[in-house]
Amino acid sequence: MNAKALISDLQDYYLLSIQGILGALQRPFYGKDVIEQMDYAGAGSFFIIVLVSLFVGMALSLQLAAELSVLGLKMYTGKVVGISIIREIGPVAAALVFTGRVGSGMASELGSMVLGHQVDTLRVFGVDPVKKLVTPRMLSAFLMLPALTLIGDAASLLGGYYIAVFVSHQSGYVYWSSVREVLIFENVFSGSVKPFIFGFLISSISCYMGLSTKGGAIGLRSSTTRAVVASIIMIIVADFLLTRILLYVLGFSV
Amino acid sequence: MIVFDAVRFSYNSREILKDISFSVGAGERIAFLGGSGEGKTTILKLIMGLIRPDSGRILIDGEDITCKTEAQLRDTRMKFSIVFQEGALFDSLNVKENVAFCLREYTKMPEEQIEEKVKELLRTVDVERAIDLMPEELSGGMHRRVAIARSLAATDPKMFLYDEPTSGLDPVNADNICKLILDLSRNGKGFIIVTHKVFDAVKVADRFMFLYDGRVRLDGNREDLLHATIPEIQIFLSELRYTQEEKNV
Ligand SMILES: Nc1ncnc2c1ncn2[C@@H]1O[C@H](COP(=O)(O)OP(=O)(O)OP(=O)(O)O)[C@@H](O)[C@H]1O
Ligand SMILES: [Mg+2]
Repeated sequence: MNAKALISDLQDYYLLSIQGILGALQRPFYGKDVIEQMDYAGAGSFFIIVLVSLFVGMALSLQLAAELSVLGLKMYTGKVVGISIIREIGPVAAALVFTGRVGSGMASELGSMVLGHQVDTLRVFGVDPVKKLVTPRMLSAFLMLPALTLIGDAASLLGGYYIAVFVSHQSGYVYWSSVREVLIFENVFSGSVKPFIFGFLISSISCYMGLSTKGGAIGLRSSTTRAVVASIIMIIVADFLLTRILLYVLGFSV
Repeated sequence: MIVFDAVRFSYNSREILKDISFSVGAGERIAFLGGSGEGKTTILKLIMGLIRPDSGRILIDGEDITCKTEAQLRDTRMKFSIVFQEGALFDSLNVKENVAFCLREYTKMPEEQIEEKVKELLRTVDVERAIDLMPEELSGGMHRRVAIARSLAATDPKMFLYDEPTSGLDPVNADNICKLILDLSRNGKGFIIVTHKVFDAVKVADRFMFLYDGRVRLDGNREDLLHATIPEIQIFLSELRYTQEEKNV
């Protein structure tokens, strides 16, 4: 891809995101579509997020308990698991699962609507496709991903608890009280800002890739792939940048 | 009503339409003929303002639409009703919701009235029994007819645009669609039908344009078409001769 095409792509993406956001502020509103998308993206992803988070929490707890018990610091398991889940791994894991399940779905659905002239039909009927298709998806991701992250965090901590108590034979009380110790404003705040940003990134990137689909089934394949790859890269990069910014803003020294 | 003035259009620097000029009055019944990939669908999209030409002007009722914004184009689009090649029904909605789409979008009709109107429209195109099916459960012909019903619900158009309404259909279904097209244009409403089936075009249209190599190579009435000497048209017409010979036997 040459530089000129890349810049014009970025410009189109930027415009689409702005229009998508503005669509939420101006009439007409498509409330029914928002609810439908929230149901698909949120309720539909519930079990897979819980499952993935549970195992991430267990693996993390197992690994840390093993390492810390060598140093004789087993009682810190809850604290380290809590911090890493709430600030880093929870939001990122939920966002990655969300990309795989919802982002790819958005891109392929919009892509096949473009190819089947359904988007053109909307324009013919005088309906703004950005408002009708993009805004509800962005809103639903923006609202549902934080909720899913919260649920995922809880599942991970539960998984961590299971390992700490039943495998590593620690006291459950110590685990929970050290988890509660890390539930301070700074940590919870950093952990809950991220999913909003990730939700916005995933939905806007996926919608953009979907709407720019051309060229039949092959085109659909590549736009879905590009949506997932670009979302994953942006999540990881944004996570790093956010961590950096939040540490700075909240006054931690590294 | 529609004027194309030296319109050029290309996809990714491949020139599809090289120099298209024609003008169409309200109430005319026109068939656009041409091979696959000659740019027939592209012309319909240009008329609707869905894509913009590289150069040249497109006038709809005297207004140049090539530099209008999406919001300004709404009124222009309301003058037409277009049925796309694939029908383009929204595949997340069932037949009833597809047809009701514009009613819900633009009117505050109560539910019973919408239901009534949808049934009436489906009756016009004779697919009333499919009201609760999803688009993927429809046959090609039903799909096309539901799409026509949906476009009728949208507006009270001055002109109909049909993109290959009969392709991929058996002769009986194709004939039904032709009759429907003629029916809908009874009260002086014109249409443009895009097709590569000369047989169907001759049945419905009075004026024929033949598109070849990015230009309009022929523009005339039935006689002009049947007596054209351009070799590409001859090939198209052979389908017609064959059908007629069959009839004579
Ligand atoms: N989105 C697109 N991107 C790039 N090229 C395109 C696109 N759509 C159409 N084309 C090209 O433009 C040309 C004209 O396409 P168009 O759909 O107008 O043909 P058509 O005359 O309607 O053909 P058919 O009878 O098969 O429907 C084709 O050669 C096609 O390859
Ligand atoms: Mg076509």
